[in-house]
Order: sequence, then C-alpha cells, then structure tokens
Amino acid sequence: MELKPIIEVKDLHFSYKNHNVLSGINFKLYKGEVISLLGPNGCGKSTLIRLILKLLEGKGEIKLNNKALQKCSHKEIASHIAYIPQYHNVPFNYSVLEMVLMGRISKLGIFASPSAHDEKKATDALRRVGILNLHNRPFGQLSGGQKQLVLLARALAQEVNFFIMDEPVNGLDYGNQIRLLELIKSLSQEGYTFLKTTHYPDHALLVSTRVVVLNAGKIVADGEPHQVINSQMIEDIYGVQSDIIEHGLHKRCIPVFAHKNI
Amino acid sequence: MKSLYLGALLLFAMALFSLLWGQYPIDISTFMEYLQMKFTAKQTMPQAEYELINNIITEIRLPRVLLAILIGAALATSGGVFQAMFVNPLVSPGILGVLAGASFGAALGMLLSEQWFVVQILAFVFGFIAVVFAILIGSMVTSSRSTVMLVLGGVISGSLFTSLLSVIKYVADPYSTLPAIVYWLMGSLSMADFNEVVLVGVPISMSIFGMIFMGKYFDILSLGDEEAKALGVNVKAIRITAIVLATLASSLSVVMAGIIGWIGLIIPHIIRMAVGPSHRLLIPLSALVGGAFLLLADAISRLALSVEIPIGILTSLIGIPIFIIVLKNARAAWN
Repeated sequence: MELKPIIEVKDLHFSYKNHNVLSGINFKLYKGEVISLLGPNGCGKSTLIRLILKLLEGKGEIKLNNKALQKCSHKEIASHIAYIPQYHNVPFNYSVLEMVLMGRISKLGIFASPSAHDEKKATDALRRVGILNLHNRPFGQLSGGQKQLVLLARALAQEVNFFIMDEPVNGLDYGNQIRLLELIKSLSQEGYTFLKTTHYPDHALLVSTRVVVLNAGKIVADGEPHQVINSQMIEDIYGVQSDIIEHGLHKRCIPVFAHKNI
Repeated sequence: MKSLYLGALLLFAMALFSLLWGQYPIDISTFMEYLQMKFTAKQTMPQAEYELINNIITEIRLPRVLLAILIGAALATSGGVFQAMFVNPLVSPGILGVLAGASFGAALGMLLSEQWFVVQILAFVFGFIAVVFAILIGSMVTSSRSTVMLVLGGVISGSLFTSLLSVIKYVADPYSTLPAIVYWLMGSLSMADFNEVVLVGVPISMSIFGMIFMGKYFDILSLGDEEAKALGVNVKAIRITAIVLATLASSLSVVMAGIIGWIGLIIPHIIRMAVGPSHRLLIPLSALVGGAFLLLADAISRLALSVEIPIGILTSLIGIPIFIIVLKNARAAWN
C-alpha cells in the first residue's frame, strides 16, 4: 500500500517582479518525516514554506492531504499545519498563556471565548515543552530561547501533527539550540511531522529523516541526510570546505578553513 | 473576569450618581420610594412630587445618562479596536480623522435634509472615507506598518474634513444654522431625547457588542498578517469588519453629541496598563470604563459652573493631563 503524502508539490514556480525565486519544484512530504530544507541565503527556502502555508500564491500545484491548497481556507490549513515562525517581538505584551491560547483560535466558534478545555490544552503544551512555570510571564520579557518554546507550545496547542518551522534555532544560544533540536527529535518520535528550514547542515544530520537542498530556486538534492550531505555538496552550495565524520549514531559536519595555516 | 465586575460596578455607580445629582438633587431614599411607586403602584409620596421626579428622571436625566454611556463606550471601544487593528498606540477615532469626517458628513446632512437617518448615514460614510483616506496616505510612503505615517495620514485627513466643514459653516445661515453647528461640535449631551437615544442606541450598541465579540481575533491580528493567517484567521474579513464597526460607532457618536475627543485614546491605554493587553478583556472593559468616564465628565460639565460647559472641551481638559501621565508609563504596556 502506498502512503498518501500530506503535502504534494508539483511543478511549482514563483517569481517576484521578473526575478525567479522558485522554478519547477516537485516534492512530496509524508507523515512522520522530519525534513530539513537546506540552502544558501535567498535560495527560496522561506518562499517555499510560505507557498505551502498559502501565505503566497505561485504557479503550479500544491496539494494538502490530496486537496488543492487553493481551495483550502486558512482555517482548514490551520487544522492540518501549525506554523512556527522565528521568535519575534509582539507589539502588545501578552502573557505566555495568552500567546499559547492563540493556537486554539481555529478550533473556536466565531463568538466563543477559550474554554477551560482550551486552557488545559495550552497548559499541557507548555508542560510538554518544559516552560509551564513561565505561563504568567509577559512574552516580551522572555529570552529568545523561551520565546521559541512558547511558539512551539502554541503549535502543540493547535492540535495538529504537522509543524512547519522557519529557521527554529536562529538567534538562540548554543544550549538552547541543542535543547530545541532534542525537543524536535523527541516530538518526531511521538509521531509529529516536521518541515523546517535551516542554515546548519550539522543540525540536519542530527535530527532529520530527510534533507532537501535548494539552490537558486531548484531542488538540487533530496534524500536521506547521510547520503545528501557530503563535502562536495557543502562546497557546491556554500562554497566552503568541510569534513563529514562519523560520531556515535550520527554523521557530523565539521567546517574546515580553506587556509590550513590559520 | 473580576475586573469586568468592577468595571460594571463603576459604571452603575456613576449612572446612579448622574441620575440623582443635579440642579434638583434627589436623595437615595426618595429615589427608592419613587421606584416603588413607579413599579408597584404603591402610593409612597404625594402625586405632585412623584410627577416632578418622574419628569426629571425619565425626561431629562435618563436619556442623558444612557447617551453618555453609549457614546463613552462607543469611543473607548473604537479607540481600542483602532489601536489593535493598526498595532499603533497613537491612534484613536479622533486622530485617524473619523470624528472630523463624521462631523463634516453630519453637518452636510443637516444642511441638506431634515431626515435623521440621512444625517446618520452621511456621518458614517464620511467617517469611513476619512479613515480610508488616512490609511491610504499612511501606506503611500511605506508599505510596512509605520506608526508615524499613519498618524500623519490621520492628521491630513482630519484637516481636510475640518476645512470642508468650515465651508459648510461659511455657507450656513449665521443666525440659526451656524451657531447650532458650532455648539453641537463642541460636544454636548444636552440635546438627548429619549427617542433619538433609542434610535441611535441600536446601531451603536450593535457595533460595540460586535467589537467585544471580536476581541480574540484582535489579539491574533496584532501578531502580523502572516502569522494570523497561518493560525487560521480570515485576516481581510476581520480587518474590514472591525474598521467598519469602529467607524460606525464613533461616527454615530458625533451625530449625537459632536466631537468628544481623547476618550478613544486614553481609556484603552489605562485599561491596558491595569489588566494587560488581551483584547478579550480590553475591549469590554474599555466599553464599561469609557461609559463611566463620560458620565463623570458630563457630571462635571453640568455641576461645576452655573452654566453648562460643553463636554468636548471637558474631556480634552481632563484627558490631556491623564494622557501625559499615561504616556510616561505606557512603554511598560507597549512592548
């Protein structure tokens, strides 16, 4: 029996004012996968996830659970996909619990307020990411790592099992980066599906089940991380040298300076 | 939730005070006797005294109290909604030009027609044109959310409609229509008549309740359009509905009582400082406190001097010092 893809992208094109951002993208995403989208700045990673979330419209076909994305309302999309943006400031200083409750909006009727049930889902989500103790704190006063966890908790409160993350570790300190990757890995083992963009080949090796490499608006590699990520690919895409080494369960990507004597 | 009860209590206390206190003060025991006589037909006071009190309460004070609550609530909720819609702490119906546009529309309506609903519709239409004009100017220079440009757009839009209003004043009959327009614009609740209050009260309360029910969406929209869409919200529909409701409520307040400034700006700020930014609480609480605030201003306007001070002047005089204090502390509530 063939698995049905959650997302199916066929011959997708997108351009901003005569500048081609994506041309001829084809890919399918299946339940349980953790896909890392790799590629240099401006390769179209963020554009691709925006197209899948219907925040942009391109030419070509995108299907969400076999239904044309164009025919899905945002509410319908939100009942399948949770989007976790890079952490950011919000203009109003909502409390952490209020931020997480916002993930419940697509489940609420037009005139309904969040119920005790919704609050329970929100506190469960905060507990799952380990920051229930912060629930009363103003979001604006949290550290970057804590903010990112709040946004992840909001996605959990949305009660979907497919998450799209835009450079989740961006701006986090080293410890928070590793803790967030660990959380992604353990959530994926609980059955959550991830599509995330990243600038770190090493992180892709650590947590992904599949790596898709974009360059100049095209998919140039797509496959298992240890097959896709190699020194040649890193050099082609980023123009730098690296060693890929075996370490424990994973392969690791170690950058190497071009000038050996510095 | 507790703060909502507190707000309701404050509004009730202010309303009771306004019903009882005035040129002819009524003490609370007389008022209770009056209520008993009115609703149980039990003879608790002489018929002549009952008639007098009944006249004062139902003909003079009650319409005025209801109007003050409606208008205070309309302006404060509209201000809160505009601040959420534009993610901008400096906007209010006054600053976005809505009040100026609506007053031009209403004055035009008074000049053209004696029909009450023509005045109301023109006030709303021009209030709406004014806010759209302000948004267009605000987004002309930069497409991103710019606090300063939107405020500037509102200043330009407001000035335009104030000039157009001057044209109407210029052509109006200097002995009858002109003084009427000028006095009405200074803001007054004294023209309240029970039928008019009911007539304008229906659409105003509907918009206020509409805005209260939309509170949870305002929280989401303040995160930015992309994130709101990704969370499953129909951003365009919410935005248009919210702007229409806020414009409707504040335009109709102009029809009834002229330009009453500052409430739309300061009340939401004070509430945000007191209970936090969540619009599920901010909007209903703004309605309650806005109503109470205008009752207070109206009480001062009636009682401070032997002649009545136009209430628009008073809300500015009270509002400006409060706003200066608020502005100092507002950074804590605004990220």
